[in-house]
Amino acid sequence: MIHHHPSDELLLAYAAGAADEALSLIVATHMSYCAICRLRGKKLDSLGGALLQELPPAPLGEGALDNVLALLDQVEPYERPRRAASRDGTPAPLRAYIGGDLSAVRWRKMGPRLSYAPLFRRGNVTARLLKGVPGADSGAHSHHGSEFTVVLQGGFTDVTGSYGPGDLQMMEDGMSHNVVADPGEDCINLAVTTGPLKFESLLQRIAAPLFGF
Amino acid sequence: MLAHALRPSFPVFRPGPRRPAVVLRLPMKPEVVEMNALLGRVASERDRTAFAALFSHFAPRVKAYLLRQGAPASVAEDLAQEALLSLWRKAHLFDPAKASVGTWLFTIARNLRIDAIRREKRPELDPEDFMPDSAPAADESLVQADDESRLRLALKDLPADQIQVVELSFFADKPHSQIATELGIPLGTVKSRLRLAMSRLKRALGEAE
Repeated sequence: MIHHHPSDELLLAYAAGAADEALSLIVATHMSYCAICRLRGKKLDSLGGALLQELPPAPLGEGALDNVLALLDQVEPYERPRRAASRDGTPAPLRAYIGGDLSAVRWRKMGPRLSYAPLFRRGNVTARLLKGVPGADSGAHSHHGSEFTVVLQGGFTDVTGSYGPGDLQMMEDGMSHNVVADPGEDCINLAVTTGPLKFESLLQRIAAPLFGF
Repeated sequence: MLAHALRPSFPVFRPGPRRPAVVLRLPMKPEVVEMNALLGRVASERDRTAFAALFSHFAPRVKAYLLRQGAPASVAEDLAQEALLSLWRKAHLFDPAKASVGTWLFTIARNLRIDAIRREKRPELDPEDFMPDSAPAADESLVQADDESRLRLALKDLPADQIQVVELSFFADKPHSQIATELGIPLGTVKSRLRLAMSRLKRALGEAE
């Protein structure tokens, strides 16, 4: 059962196409788990449709319709790309970035209990996967910029609550927390940060840049 | 040591109590019925006259949308044509009971713009590959066909300052902080206007807020 959902503002940015690729990945991954937010998203698409319909029309150039009519016979009907189903329940939007299932991820160690796998970076925005064994602890940290997390497997707990598969956490600039992986399965998260993390421990402050955090 | 830095300043979404699935349904706007029927004819008969009618109605609106997003006129012109060509290619996927052509075209134009202008991918849901969810199923099949009509009516009742932030949020492709600067109002005002507008729009759809 999903307990933590994206805010209206984040969902609206996704529906409007204003959210960048990394945030869109966060929202689409959450929505793959969450029927409630898929419905919220559809309503926002309808709002986009309503606004589009109310816009004063901008006439096209002369011959635009003839142009397109002439192309109709040359194009094939669209076919949805066929994808193999995930074998371990990896959400579809994420599989495109991993290049397969979660089981295909090549993890890099950062300490005995934590590992990570970078997905992509666009300017200051970084998308990565994080994994912690039960009881693993991220170390207390705050953020330059925001951090968005969706749980994919297992769960974690911090001062804001407990998060399980599909739950989305948003930490704003300056908010501080220490994430501890729940007992049971390894905790695997999709995490997007819009700036570097600020660790409280000296050792982590020195090590963080080495791992690109 | 940690809680001191925590400030829950953003509004958290909590799903409201579910209303019964049977809502009083307005008749769809005749225009939506007509446009959906035209697309039905494109899908089943490859009817070019029906396609031309859809083109005349929607292509100028899609072009207007792209111009609002800041696309140069020639790009908006090309992408509007491409969006309508996509409609022809995808017509067989459209379900007139669940959606309206206007909303569907909006999503097509939005994705074309991200692809062509921002040169980014848009991570998309795969409708055949959702995770099992133990929550009571939100009825994804009900809905939609008349949401757009309801929202168009509700938009007409919003105060001008609320419509403005809704439009900018959808069409301006810029963060709320920049919208605030351009309107010369505080960021908090942008957010509160948007929140007011969204709760009135949700009410129009018969949803708990």
